[in-house]
Amino acid sequence: MSTHLDHDQQHTTTEPPVLTPQHLGPAAQGASSLTATDVSCWFGSRQVLERCSLSMEPGKVTALIGPSGCGKSTFLRTLNRMHEVVPGAKIAGTVELDGQDIYGEDLGVTEVRMAIGMVFQKPNPFPSMSIRDNVLAGLRLSGKSAGDKDTVVEESLRRAGLWNEVKDRLHDGGMSLSGGQQQRLCIARSLAVHPRVLLMDEPCSALDPISTRVVEETVIELAHQITIVIVTHNMQQAQRVSSQCAFFLVEEQKQPGRIVEAGDTATLFTNPKDQRTLDYVTGRFG
Amino acid sequence: MTLLDDAPLADGAGAAGGAAKGMPEQPKRKVRGLTRPEWAEYAIALVAGISLALLLRTLLDWDDVMGSAIIAGIAFIGVHYLIVRERTSPDVALDKVVTTMMWTVGAVIVAMLLWMLSYVAVRGLKLLNWTFLTTDLSTTGSLEEGGGALHAIIGTAEQVAIATMVVVPVAVLTAVYLHELKGRLAGLIRFVVDSLSGVPSIVAGLLIFTVWPGYAGIKASAALAILTLPIVTRASEEILRTVPDSLREASLALGAPQWKVVLRVVLPTARTGLATATILGVARMAGETAPALYTAFGSASVNLNPLNGSQSSLPLFVWDLIRVPDQRQNDRAWAGALVLVIIVLVLFATARWLSARADKKLGRR
Repeated sequence: MSTHLDHDQQHTTTEPPVLTPQHLGPAAQGASSLTATDVSCWFGSRQVLERCSLSMEPGKVTALIGPSGCGKSTFLRTLNRMHEVVPGAKIAGTVELDGQDIYGEDLGVTEVRMAIGMVFQKPNPFPSMSIRDNVLAGLRLSGKSAGDKDTVVEESLRRAGLWNEVKDRLHDGGMSLSGGQQQRLCIARSLAVHPRVLLMDEPCSALDPISTRVVEETVIELAHQITIVIVTHNMQQAQRVSSQCAFFLVEEQKQPGRIVEAGDTATLFTNPKDQRTLDYVTGRFG
Repeated sequence: MTLLDDAPLADGAGAAGGAAKGMPEQPKRKVRGLTRPEWAEYAIALVAGISLALLLRTLLDWDDVMGSAIIAGIAFIGVHYLIVRERTSPDVALDKVVTTMMWTVGAVIVAMLLWMLSYVAVRGLKLLNWTFLTTDLSTTGSLEEGGGALHAIIGTAEQVAIATMVVVPVAVLTAVYLHELKGRLAGLIRFVVDSLSGVPSIVAGLLIFTVWPGYAGIKASAALAILTLPIVTRASEEILRTVPDSLREASLALGAPQWKVVLRVVLPTARTGLATATILGVARMAGETAPALYTAFGSASVNLNPLNGSQSSLPLFVWDLIRVPDQRQNDRAWAGALVLVIIVLVLFATARWLSARADKKLGRR
């Protein structure tokens, strides 16, 4: 693990913010940069990622693309310390949120996950809670004070583009919504704790095209406010929503996944440097 | 998750309504139920089966009804197979045979249950009335009228309630340790719990009788607790298994510490299932006789104090009175058995209702 000092120098334009729990409230709202350096991952003795470095710019959408099993979801999960939830999971390298190591001693895992929210592949609202309680779940679960709860609920649902559809039925169960609405409810739930980064793991793969469009619009809307990292199998989606892109690939079977190429989305899709990237984005394999 | 799901409701309803307007209502096609040839096949096979059974009965001079029924059934299946195969194909005929067997097995099980219940009901209803539920046997001689099972009902209620209050928290905590924390001792604990579930109920009673001598309702509770703890623990663990991992991940990703994930998300989601597991445990306890034999011992009068003195319970009441060569006492035993059956049935019905509601809520259906 590297020291924080080296990396703080990269942020010459802004004051390096020191991340303390107090700063994680609405006051600390706004886009943050997330920098992964030489991240490697293992499940038991099997290595699934090898020295992946990627800089996710503040206030932009970064898409992670690549064929199935290339480690892009695993990489995403290292960004808010969800990788270590799996028994036997190991990690090396550093991930820095505004220059502060999220695996370091200064930050608790709870604070990291509150600052870096996550939306999963399948919508997973809490079945035992109403729509309103689902939105407030993050605050209650992390023990953070909510301020005015009604304001939080409305603001989060508005940001997730769901408010108009559910404002009259906030006390209905979270499972009473359609799949697309459930996914936006999960986005609202993540937003309620005011994360500075939002990670999305194939958020549209379980949704129909219309719901997908609505979620994509939500992502584009949110990109002005926070940093977003999205894993997607859908290359059109990557082009529609992201400005940065990273292409992951497992070159041979049983080998760990690597980042083949990363950069501007438009460049990556139209004029990639690497032949394998060209093959993938033009649909010649994968 | 279809396109229509996300469309505003008014649009969908409008489009559907518009299409149906001015059109005659369409007749629904019949897709279930038997066609006419199928009816005929069943009828022919049934007549053939019964005739064969009657023929054998007459020729061989049998008078066993059960045997004839079995022969009729087998003959019915055989004949049915042959005629269906003639009209259609061996595959269809085999399908019919298996269908008939499924229906038969189902019918036999339901019939046995109904027969048992109605037998208990008929024997028990003779004495089951308000007096039976509100008096004990302390002043009623064995040949006198009146008297009842109040002392046994109170005993069962107290013993089961105390045992449940001990068992449920311990069982749920153990299940949480086994499935949520996946602690280091999980394997050992699971082994011990599994072994405990094999303990014969009389042994549980004897153990308490030996280590904690003297008669009291609470000692019966202790024996019942030993007996049901493993059942409720494993049932609770199974229930926790049905809570999707995605909910745990979602909670962790929101920054929740694990104890809050369990307390605020996992247990509330599993709430109805855990209630079902508890009720099944309670039903099991209510029907146990052996653990109460040497611990609560039984009594003829109401003993409200579960901590001291012998106490009756419904199974003990039945066991005591059915052994006596006396019609009136036997009738009382049957009435007691009926009360017990009703209690257990109500508990099971509640459990079913709760779990159906839980499935609906989780969208499992």
